[in-house]
Amino acid sequence: MASTKVPEVRDITRIERIGAHSHIRGLGLDDALEPRQVSQGMVGQLASRRAAGIILEMIKDGHIAGRAVLIAGQPGTGKTAIAMGIAQSLGPDTPFTALAGSEIFSLEMSKTEALSQAFRKAIGVRIKEETEIIEGEVVEIQIDRPATGTGAKVGKLTLKTTEMETIYDLGNKMIDSLSKEKVQAGDVITIDKATGKISKLGRSFTRARDYDAMGAQTQFVQCPEGELQKRKEVVHTVSLHEIDVINSRTQGFLALFSGDTGEIKSEVREQINAKVCEWREEGKAEIIPGVLFIDEVHMLDMECFSFLNRALESDLSPVLIMATNRGITRIRGTNYQSPHGIPIDLLDRLLIIATSPYTEKETRQILKIRCEEEDVELSEEAHTVLTRIGMETSLRYAIQLISTAGLVCRKRKGTEVQVEDIKRVYSLFLDEARSSQYMKEYQDSFLFNETQAAAMDTS
Amino acid sequence: MEADSQRVLEYLTEVEEAAEDVLTTKQQIVELDSKRNKNREALNALKHDMPDTEKVKVCFGNMFIKFPKSKTSEMIQKDQEQLDKEINDLRKELKAKVNRLNEIEGKPELRGYNLSPLSTDEVKAIHNLLKR
Repeated sequence: MASTKVPEVRDITRIERIGAHSHIRGLGLDDALEPRQVSQGMVGQLASRRAAGIILEMIKDGHIAGRAVLIAGQPGTGKTAIAMGIAQSLGPDTPFTALAGSEIFSLEMSKTEALSQAFRKAIGVRIKEETEIIEGEVVEIQIDRPATGTGAKVGKLTLKTTEMETIYDLGNKMIDSLSKEKVQAGDVITIDKATGKISKLGRSFTRARDYDAMGAQTQFVQCPEGELQKRKEVVHTVSLHEIDVINSRTQGFLALFSGDTGEIKSEVREQINAKVCEWREEGKAEIIPGVLFIDEVHMLDMECFSFLNRALESDLSPVLIMATNRGITRIRGTNYQSPHGIPIDLLDRLLIIATSPYTEKETRQILKIRCEEEDVELSEEAHTVLTRIGMETSLRYAIQLISTAGLVCRKRKGTEVQVEDIKRVYSLFLDEARSSQYMKEYQDSFLFNETQAAAMDTS
Repeated sequence: MEADSQRVLEYLTEVEEAAEDVLTTKQQIVELDSKRNKNREALNALKHDMPDTEKVKVCFGNMFIKFPKSKTSEMIQKDQEQLDKEINDLRKELKAKVNRLNEIEGKPELRGYNLSPLSTDEVKAIHNLLKR
């Protein structure tokens, strides 16, 4: 319900910062789930995008929950982009929580607590609130104060919609709240039938010329249509974690805003689960399993993996999407080697999507999209040079060069980035290969040189 | 070609009919509510404006009939209950009709539309979450 106290919405021109995947708008699939070569910021990776599309459809239909997907591939092959694409195409109603694997080690709570909070943030509960309200434009208020000054006041309130008009008799309480809200003829108000709460929606357009001078916050609204006594239904989507937080009483509801929620007792969670399941049985709630995305999943240790194993089996479980760029490597917290650094038993539960390196044509396309995203004009030759750099070093490095070259270009008051600009930034900033090369040549002059120390030990 | 346009015509007729159905139900609710409000006004008037008259003139159709006050208010009260029930039924029907219209128009189904509402206590309990 709108209140007309202080205008709370201030116009702030939002400055969108440009992130590495800000150009992703979706998975770029057509209605038949066939991937288009270039669409919604996605380029190439047709097979993996198609696979992601199928999973997306299943998530949307609510067919899968408690499943896990692993996106595996070399660095810079669009793993995070695919996850972002899934998130974007799920729409605002499906909860999507993203988490970096290393994140859970730096929080002031246990790893499993951090994981269960992330799990519960990714599960939405849809509930409905229903209120009977009286909504209309005030035609007239008439309040009779008793002659003695004290005692019960009586009054009459005339309300109208475009269809009808009626008179309500007012009691003492209603008169008080009407005068508190400073309701006068010409206001459009709603009265909550159950609580008697009055809120002003604004002034009616037909009364716009009543006064010449009016505050800036005076809002004009149309006279309501239809019946006076309406039923208002509002559907809310909240996450299980939010319900957890307001119910773990030790923190109170303020905990939701401070960010640090501390740990939530498992009893509280169990109670919430029971309540939500009860609501679902009664048809009062719908559960929306969302998506939990864990990037750099190889950073998790053995403890977390066994927790994941168990958590995926719970009946309130989201779809887990993980991404990793590791091959066969040591599982963190153990001495065992395993593919992707993930234990075999967990790996067995996963649907695995592989991404493959981009071709030259695709690299060119991606660089073009990034240029548009970062508002940098690129000449044809510069584009070709940049594509070569992207192929020979890495896509990420080439993308970094776009904005830096853009700056250099602007510095010399050019409008289009030329080959010289690219050359300049290429000489200014080293890529990973050249940096390693440099290290190998000049390692002796760096501090704490381990290879040198080792060499000294043996001598 | 002929068959195509015939099919389009049939489809459009179906959509129009469904939309018309929704509109009539809405209008019916409005009319019933206006009747309900008039009845409420009458009840108030009986209670406050004529405390000591025993018989009141009631308009039936286009004829005024003198009628005992208690009988009258009882009658109106019954009418009110009937109206409340009818409006509720119509609202339920309206939901099904809107859903049908959305379906044949190919629009997505409204989400959470068919949930039953939380009770007031439950709403109060998670009030902080809802009012963000």
